[in-house]
Amino acid sequence: MTLNLPPVALALPVLTALFVAMPGASTNAVAADAEYHHVHITSFAPAVSVRWYTEHLDCQPIADRDDAADCHGVEVTFVPQSTQGGTQGTGVNHIGFSYLDLTAKMEELESIGSRGSGVRLQRFEGGEMIREAPGLFKYGFIFDPWGTRIELVEDPDRLGFHHIHLSSTNPDETLEWYQSVLGGERDRLRDRIDGLRYGDVWLLAMEHEEGIPATTEGRAIDHIGFIVDDLGNAASEMRSAGAEFQQEPIVPENARTSARRAFIYGPDNVRLAVVESGFAGVDSNFVEETTADSTPYDPAQTPWEEPDLQGVWTGNAAHGIPLERPLDLVDVENLTAEEAAARREGGTLGSIWGYEREWRDTTLGYDKNAPSTQVAMIIDPPTGRLPERTPEGQRMEEVAARARRLYTENRSAGPEDLTPYVRCITRGLPGLMMPSIYNNGLQIVQGPGFVAIQKEMIHETRVIPTEERAPLNAKLTTYLGDPHGHWEGNTLVVETNNFNGRTNYRGSSADMKLTERFTRTADNRLEYQFTVDDPKVWTQPWTGVFTFNLDNEQYDVVEYACHEGNYGMTNILSGARALDRERAEGSR
Amino acid sequence: MKHLCVPVVTAFLFASAAISAQSDEVPRAWDNHPDLNGIWQAIGTAHWNLEDHPAGPGHPDLGAIGAIPPGQGVVEEGDIPYTPEARQQQQDNFENRMTNDPEAKCFMPGVPRATYLPYPFQIIQGDKKIQIAYGVAEASRTIHMDKDNPEPPPIDSWMGRSHGRWDGDTLVVDVQGFTGEAWFDRAGNHASASLRVEERYTPMGRNAIMYEATLTDDTVFTRPWAIRMPLYRRLEDNARVIEFKCVEYSEDLLYGHLRRVPTR
Repeated sequence: MTLNLPPVALALPVLTALFVAMPGASTNAVAADAEYHHVHITSFAPAVSVRWYTEHLDCQPIADRDDAADCHGVEVTFVPQSTQGGTQGTGVNHIGFSYLDLTAKMEELESIGSRGSGVRLQRFEGGEMIREAPGLFKYGFIFDPWGTRIELVEDPDRLGFHHIHLSSTNPDETLEWYQSVLGGERDRLRDRIDGLRYGDVWLLAMEHEEGIPATTEGRAIDHIGFIVDDLGNAASEMRSAGAEFQQEPIVPENARTSARRAFIYGPDNVRLAVVESGFAGVDSNFVEETTADSTPYDPAQTPWEEPDLQGVWTGNAAHGIPLERPLDLVDVENLTAEEAAARREGGTLGSIWGYEREWRDTTLGYDKNAPSTQVAMIIDPPTGRLPERTPEGQRMEEVAARARRLYTENRSAGPEDLTPYVRCITRGLPGLMMPSIYNNGLQIVQGPGFVAIQKEMIHETRVIPTEERAPLNAKLTTYLGDPHGHWEGNTLVVETNNFNGRTNYRGSSADMKLTERFTRTADNRLEYQFTVDDPKVWTQPWTGVFTFNLDNEQYDVVEYACHEGNYGMTNILSGARALDRERAEGSR
Repeated sequence: MKHLCVPVVTAFLFASAAISAQSDEVPRAWDNHPDLNGIWQAIGTAHWNLEDHPAGPGHPDLGAIGAIPPGQGVVEEGDIPYTPEARQQQQDNFENRMTNDPEAKCFMPGVPRATYLPYPFQIIQGDKKIQIAYGVAEASRTIHMDKDNPEPPPIDSWMGRSHGRWDGDTLVVDVQGFTGEAWFDRAGNHASASLRVEERYTPMGRNAIMYEATLTDDTVFTRPWAIRMPLYRRLEDNARVIEFKCVEYSEDLLYGHLRRVPTR
């Protein structure tokens, strides 16, 4: 629901309402005789969205409204709501803005770039930004950071907010419906495109490409709004013209004025609001109180409408956070910066044996990333300690400890006595996600339905499907298991099983079910939460968390060709054989 | 009967039209470029030898399984234009392939070899970069679509540094910055660290891509030369690139002599 607030626990995105308050009256004698009032765009952070439309599409801030902007008679409002994707595939294909010099405008937008809350151009096939329809005008497409497709045109007859383009299974019937229910003047744009005019803003309808349009509700453009003088009268007229009300006329909770609003559904699952004169949106201030614990952040979406986690991240700042809470820090919430620096100096940097100081500092971004002040990774159990092991888990740990001694005492009989990490096979899961002493890059590349997570150490690429797929047969086990991903709001949730058990994390077994949650909590922060559920080993599941930082500018993930240059194996094993000989000679 | 027949036939025609439309059309990404997302694999004997080759003996312990199957080459315009020294090197490589072929050692295959090894690979095509995850040796590449082309490679690597751009419907990838240690096939075909590869991925419809790679390396070849082969979409239900971490199967070859009881 557009203006309904989510439960506190969701605490996620925000809705943007783009209000089109058109002056002047329609002359048509139709049911409601409505004017465009607003377009409602689902967004996340109100202030960011207002700024975006103000800076890039020349809208104006509105006094006393921190949640709205005026786009040439247009208002932008924001209310928290989970975002369920962009406009494409819904019954509203895009909205249009008109500029006198489209080339200059597009060049300006291109120069902004698509990073962060930038502007994403939708280029044409040949890579060009602008095309010209003969007899019509020049046009090009962009996306706002929240997935709204926006057409920019060069139509001197109407500058600024120009049109709303519906996507309909039957454009002609759709326009007829709008005219009979909401008024508007039937006209042809430049004598070329059938449409309705509301004042000088156009409502156009194109053929929907495939199937039935998805509902706009919850999508980037949640609804389009129309304004009438008296909603009571208008509602009964609209009803008699065939409109069905999703919500009867009411004064919404927390409305800024006493003007009423109703929701109806137009053709092609397009949600429409009809508001009374004086309607000024819904006050969302109280939302900030209810979500005080989690600053709302709206990650940009990919053009195919998935949260955009892409970029080069590093775990450098998180290196040094112990998995378990140190016993002398039981009541400490966070380290001080000095304590964190001291921990890194004593732990992380101390552990990189024999490397030059300068190299270590550079590698770990010592000067660039202040080390994390997080006390420990484990957040559940709340003690910050691993849960109790089962008897079987205890036995397995003893076996593992004996194996480790072979390595530390240099008695390895062959490669199998060394860990998969030393052998350059893998660090396993969740081990490979853990911050390491160097080569800490994590690159994420997304395509529709897949997220590729590439970890620099020791060069592994996990390909995570984000749509449901059949699981692999239980006997088809691998080191990194069978991942199944899905989006929960803006969080990528990855559930993995089918492990071969030839690697372990803190004693985990082949039965482990790993659940990982990747959430972009700011432009430059990616929270990584992992839950290990392995009843064979631990008496309860446990969960850890740490954060990756974006480092697109200076970090380049390199090829960590581990096995290809693994002199360590040759040296460890030949050293072990030399010790064998010494021991044999000593015992002679 | 007549009344019954007509709708049935009509429905059938609709169905087959839908299928053929699906098969023939190049899928389009959000930006209208071809959508190469999917799991692909080469078929043929290029991984045995890029050049035309008759059948030959292989690893005797494996019987006929170890034999080299015959195959038509994928090199445009005949043989690889090696310098005489480089041709000699290829023959030496072939003689010593049981121990020296990087594939036997589970080393990353490099480019273009990764493309036509007998394993599937997955293309993840995004809006900024394209990732290719190959089905062996955990090899993968990032094709930078968003960087200066070409940007100097940060380090030499097995898989090289890839920069891509669209030329109409063709994805063109410039790859350089190689270690020079990769081979092209099990026949010991090779290049040096000066190798530069220009790959061209051109969709041939929904389920095939024509793959072309032009290889330039003045220190090894007398002129640039090219290979050309189709890549096929894996169409099985639930097709996957299954992880094949082959390191452990190379360890006897590499470290067997260092076991407590040597195996080599």
